[in-house]
Amino acid sequence: MFSKVLIANRGEIALRILRACRTLEIEAVVAYSEADRDSLPVQLADEAICIGPAEAKRSYLSVPAVISAAVVTGCEAIHPGYGFLSEDDTFAEVVRAHDLVFVGPPPDVLERFASKAGTRQLLGDRGLPTIPGSDGMLRDDAHALAEAERIGYPVLIKPSAGGGGKGMRMVRSPRELESAIKVARSEARAAFGDDSLYLEKWLEDTHHVEVQVAVDRFGHGVHLGERDCSVQRRHQKILEESPTLALSGPARNELAERAIRGVVAAGYENVGTLEFLVDGDGNFYFIEINCRIQVEHPVTEMLTGIDLVTTQLRIAAGEPLGFTQADVALRGHAIEFRINAEDPEHDFRPGAGIIERYLAPAGPGVRMDSHLYAGYEVPPYYDSLLGKLVVWGPTREVAIARSRVALDELIVDGLTTNISIHKALLGSDAFLEGRITTNLLDRVGSAAFIAAAARTGA
Amino acid sequence: MPERDSAPRGDRPRTAAERDADHAGVDRLTSDLLPTLVARLAATGLGEVELREDGWRIRVRRPAAAQNPERPATDRPGRAQPGHAGHGHSPGALEGHRAPRVGAPSTNGSMPGPVGATLQGTASGAEAALTGGAIVTGGSVVTGGAVATSPAVGIFQPRTDLRPGAAVRAGDRLGVVDVLGIPQEIVAPVGGILGVSLVEAGHAVEYGQDLLRIELTGAGPADRDPA
Repeated sequence: MFSKVLIANRGEIALRILRACRTLEIEAVVAYSEADRDSLPVQLADEAICIGPAEAKRSYLSVPAVISAAVVTGCEAIHPGYGFLSEDDTFAEVVRAHDLVFVGPPPDVLERFASKAGTRQLLGDRGLPTIPGSDGMLRDDAHALAEAERIGYPVLIKPSAGGGGKGMRMVRSPRELESAIKVARSEARAAFGDDSLYLEKWLEDTHHVEVQVAVDRFGHGVHLGERDCSVQRRHQKILEESPTLALSGPARNELAERAIRGVVAAGYENVGTLEFLVDGDGNFYFIEINCRIQVEHPVTEMLTGIDLVTTQLRIAAGEPLGFTQADVALRGHAIEFRINAEDPEHDFRPGAGIIERYLAPAGPGVRMDSHLYAGYEVPPYYDSLLGKLVVWGPTREVAIARSRVALDELIVDGLTTNISIHKALLGSDAFLEGRITTNLLDRVGSAAFIAAAARTGA
Repeated sequence: MPERDSAPRGDRPRTAAERDADHAGVDRLTSDLLPTLVARLAATGLGEVELREDGWRIRVRRPAAAQNPERPATDRPGRAQPGHAGHGHSPGALEGHRAPRVGAPSTNGSMPGPVGATLQGTASGAEAALTGGAIVTGGSVVTGGAVATSPAVGIFQPRTDLRPGAAVRAGDRLGVVDVLGIPQEIVAPVGGILGVSLVEAGHAVEYGQDLLRIELTGAGPADRDPA
């Protein structure tokens, strides 16, 4: 095992990694930007080192700064957390070139999974269903019509060069397809300088379900169940839970089994997450893999009792996993609420400022991962995550009841948070019945959602 | 204009015992004498007060001009340094919970808090290591110099041809911080007389760390009260 590790991240995840290092008796150095000088991870660290100014590009995203910090403090490994440099295969390669260990998949594995299209192909060939789509780029209208017919309407026209939903058009019939393709081509040419288009099956009202996996260097892998992350706002997850209500017990098991078989066959290593879309009929389609620890990892930790961050460190240090699939038990139900500094009443405008009062909830099954303390000034430069309230119960009903109590106890004074949206969710029939799909909050509107919940006395 | 001082001096490495004695001396001077001197300075309106004792010389001086247009870099808040615990937290911070920092060595651990004077150790002929840098406001005394800070996290390599006492101009290169083999220049924030290094050459430094002190030139006694 490593004796000293650099934590190249901030906020709650830096604190989470610090705790994992302490558990393994690893000395932890927290790399921080000038804006995070007074942060809790910096205060609690064995050692802390300032790597640059507030601007992430010159601190948390600066490859030389992060690696230099690890070198001069005598660290053996760098834990990147999530975001920032956590999935950058070039960074991982440079880390290795300096005789340091990247806590995550080795650089060649990261590179293999770097392209989304390439990963779909790789895992599609290893038994994971992917979203049906056209055979390559659309050559002409006849090709487009034939492919759409084969896939089945409705279909989504997607520009090859696009991203983030830009330039996509959904069509429900051959007639719509013919006219939409012309518009989509000229839009794509104007926006990306490339008018190549392809088709993908349009999936309506999907659940976002992801499978947590851990694979050691010796090719021994386990899945740790799934998480349902369908409660989203503009593709940002705000609440995650496990197990999912979108799949039956046997279907959940099949999903997880196929996921772990696929990634082991594809040569994955370390902790990772495979994301799927699940449609109303229980069909699941692989969309992408996250080669890092995820924000919502505590949900899985609550169900399994397995510490995912120490698992990451142990795998990166070359240790065998030390347990088998048979040792993994998924107990009860857990829900994570992302507590963000944003205002649900005003289009989720992010906020910053001094925390005047902070009280973390507690009680059976309640866990709060947060870097807040009274007097802490939340800097405006980074994401708005203030912490994660994770609540476990033997059943979903108990977990929800405990969550209501915990959300009522939680006090974050000094800036506006999204706690109200969580209380509204716990009062909504859509959530209680497991009917929330990835586009629901955007379709209904979060403000309307909160107002409706308030009317029903939730 | 003072000439550049290129004469080598103070090259002999100091022993641990000598350093300890120096630290004790500085501690005593700062805690016993400094407040008195600062108060005296404030009361008399003098520009500078100097006192010699036990081979130490302590000098408390008003700033050359209280509203220096070149805002000195020493106005930055106190900061944590690698291997140096306990600095840089806001009043609400959890000071007591911090474990001692280990790792990167500290070479300027003599001054736990802001000090309002320049202290020069002459006892053993070594000016190095013990110039207290910062500046205080015991009454109206503000700053008398500036500090060149680290542009990056890496290894400190000051220019070997520049010695304390040398005249430098704003923008002059004072050395580099080596970041994985790539030098990042340390630049003088103001013109003046180069003071001693606050960090030993070859040691690890973090971004923004105070490295080299620069005393302002032409700093005669102030001819007006600082605002």
